[in-house]
Formats: sequence, structure tokens, C-alpha cells
Amino acid sequence: MPIEIQPEDGPSAIAEALRTAILEAIPEARVDVSPGGTAHFEIRVEAAVFEGMGRVAQQQLVYGAIAPLMSGSHPPVHAIDRLECVVG
Amino acid sequence: MNLDEATRGRIDELIQGSPVTLFMKGNREAPQCGFSAKVVSILDDYLGDYQTVDVLSDGEIREGIKVYSSWPTIPQLYVKGEFLGGCDIITEMAGSGELFEALGVDPPEAIVPEIHVADDAAEALRQAAAQNAEPGQFLHLDVSRDWQTSLSMAAQTSMDIPVEANGVTLMVSRLSAARANGISINLVETTNGMGFKVNNPNAPTLSEMSVQELKALLESKENFEFIDVRTPNEFETARIAAAVLLDEAEYQRLSGLPKETKIVFICHHGPRGVNAAEQFLSQGFTNVHNVTGGLDAWSAEIDESVPRY
Repeated sequence: MPIEIQPEDGPSAIAEALRTAILEAIPEARVDVSPGGTAHFEIRVEAAVFEGMGRVAQQQLVYGAIAPLMSGSHPPVHAIDRLECVVG
Repeated sequence: MNLDEATRGRIDELIQGSPVTLFMKGNREAPQCGFSAKVVSILDDYLGDYQTVDVLSDGEIREGIKVYSSWPTIPQLYVKGEFLGGCDIITEMAGSGELFEALGVDPPEAIVPEIHVADDAAEALRQAAAQNAEPGQFLHLDVSRDWQTSLSMAAQTSMDIPVEANGVTLMVSRLSAARANGISINLVETTNGMGFKVNNPNAPTLSEMSVQELKALLESKENFEFIDVRTPNEFETARIAAAVLLDEAEYQRLSGLPKETKIVFICHHGPRGVNAAEQFLSQGFTNVHNVTGGLDAWSAEIDESVPRY
């Protein structure tokens, strides 16, 4: 399912899009997304799939899922201030 | 999202070009973003030399590296061809001590440095710490590779060595412990009010050179930079042929040289040479000399064909 974000969408809609994108990649995950400053977010993901993975690989999995929201010339998400991956 | 072959090839080449490559915004001297600056300040503590790539000056690399690493943010650190992480991971690895092995750097011996704090400085440090402390934060003292001392509030990491000095607890990173050993902190009056004055006996100091030593050095095959810090007019009036006048371009060139480069400063009588030498010491240069008595002593004792004025 492609993620459609309109320019006028507020932080909560973008946060929801981030959550949806992560859950598509890691369906069993527990995901918390909290908006920070303008187009900045903090994300916490708890998932069994992280077991045995290094920190870089864990975060690459999440970043890979949300990459479409962070690319292009005016991405809805500028920065993830904090990404926490927990084995759960 | 796909990465075209040309860009992938360029990134491969950059990463293979140096054992440690940091993709960042700006460069090592002038980072353009707080996260890049943070990683630079960490790497500077571990390594004298590493490669940086400024993504702001190259749009293809900026977008390409994100796809290449499956990592959407800058900075990104590559070590021996492997992606090590971004700002958070590098900061965490520095705190846990893992960064030594990752960068192939031997951890320094964990000595407990001796730090002397004067009574009034201790009181001022206690007050500053009490005013700025958030829970879990401690007063940190660090001495960087280029001998800059900094005091800051930060969380304790496993790399920190707690030091008691005159009733004040200071956290000193294991990386700077040897450089901080024997340091003394005093409170002094400055033009901006009271400030801390740090005296570090380990820091390299200016070394004075006699005109006889200068003559021997000029006749030897040793490589060094010989810099005249007088005005262009004085330089026209009288000079030693091998000396280069310090102007803006020359200053920039010198600043970019390796920090262990031998630099000899000369002026008319000595004081301006001392000022210039101290300025380069504060930039982190370690092999800095001033010609005692300046050009006047050279004319008087070595070469009377150089006019005195």
C-alpha cells in the first residue's frame, strides 16, 4: 500500500504514516512514534525479529521501511531524532 | 529507490580510499550540523587522520549514500569498508569503549589523573555544577588532542574516570586522562569577569631558539617552516632570504599543515614571534619555535650584511 502524505498533513498524520510503514515491514512490532520539532520524530520499535541482529542492522530494517517518507526534495520527515530498537 | 552504477562506484571508491571515512555535512574544521560536529569531535579524540566527505557539496553523494547504506541520515561512518553507524551509534560506542576496537585504536591506560583545584575555583565549580546539573549529569573535564581543556555537564559513561580534587568530583574521559594528569585550575579575573585558568604541564610549549641554532638549522638538511611575522615594510627593509612573510594566504597554508610540523618564527626583537608561536600552539601545533632576539640579533651576531633598523 503506497503511503500518501499531503503537504497540509500535521505531525500526527505523519507519525501515523511512519507507524504504518514500520508495521508493514515488521508486522509483529510494537511501534511508538512521537512528534518532536517540525518534521522531527522519535521512534521506538519493539520486535522479536531484532533478536541476534546488530544495532546497525536493526535500525537499517526500520529506516528501510520509512525511507520513502524521508526522501525527495521536500520529505514529510526531515529527521528521526531518536530511534530505539528493542528486542521484544 | 535505486542507486545508479556511477554513483555507487564513486561511493565504493571513497570508502576504499581511506581506512576511516566520515560522510558528513561540512568538513572537519567547519561541520555544518550538530550531529556531524558531534561525530567529528569524537573521532578527533581517537584519530589524528581520517577522511571526510562533505555531502552538502555533492547532491549525488548526499542522496546516494543514504541508499547505499540503507540509512537515511547524515553523518555516516565507514571503517575498513564497513558501515559502522550514525551519530547515535558512534556516541554510544564511544561511551561503552567499543569504539577503540572498531577503529583499531589501543585504549590508553586507565590512570587516575591528579588534578589541582584552587579553593576559590573549587567553590565556583561546585556552584556551576549545582546550577546546571540535570539528574544523572556530572561535571566533566576533558583535554583534547590539541590541548584544549573543556568543562561541561554530561552523563557519566563507562569511559569516565571520577577524580576527587579539593572536594569537587570531576569526570575525566579515559582518552584525556594522561593529558589531564597534573593539571591545575585557578580562578582568575578576565575582561569578561571571573574565569577558570587552566595550567597544563603536559601541553607543548614554545621553545626559544638562538640565532646560532637557527644558523645551524638553516645549514642542515632538516625540513621546517621559517616564518617572518614582521610587517611587509620591515620585510622589505631587512630579511633573511629563507624566511617567508606571514600574510593571510601563508597563515591559511600553515594552519592546514600536520600539527607536528616544525615552525620557526622570527620578528624584529622577539615578542611578536612569541605571540605568533603561541597562536599556533593553541591551534594544536606541537613543534613551535621563536628566534630569541629576532632579526636584530641575527644582524648583530651572524650576518652583518642584513641591515639593522
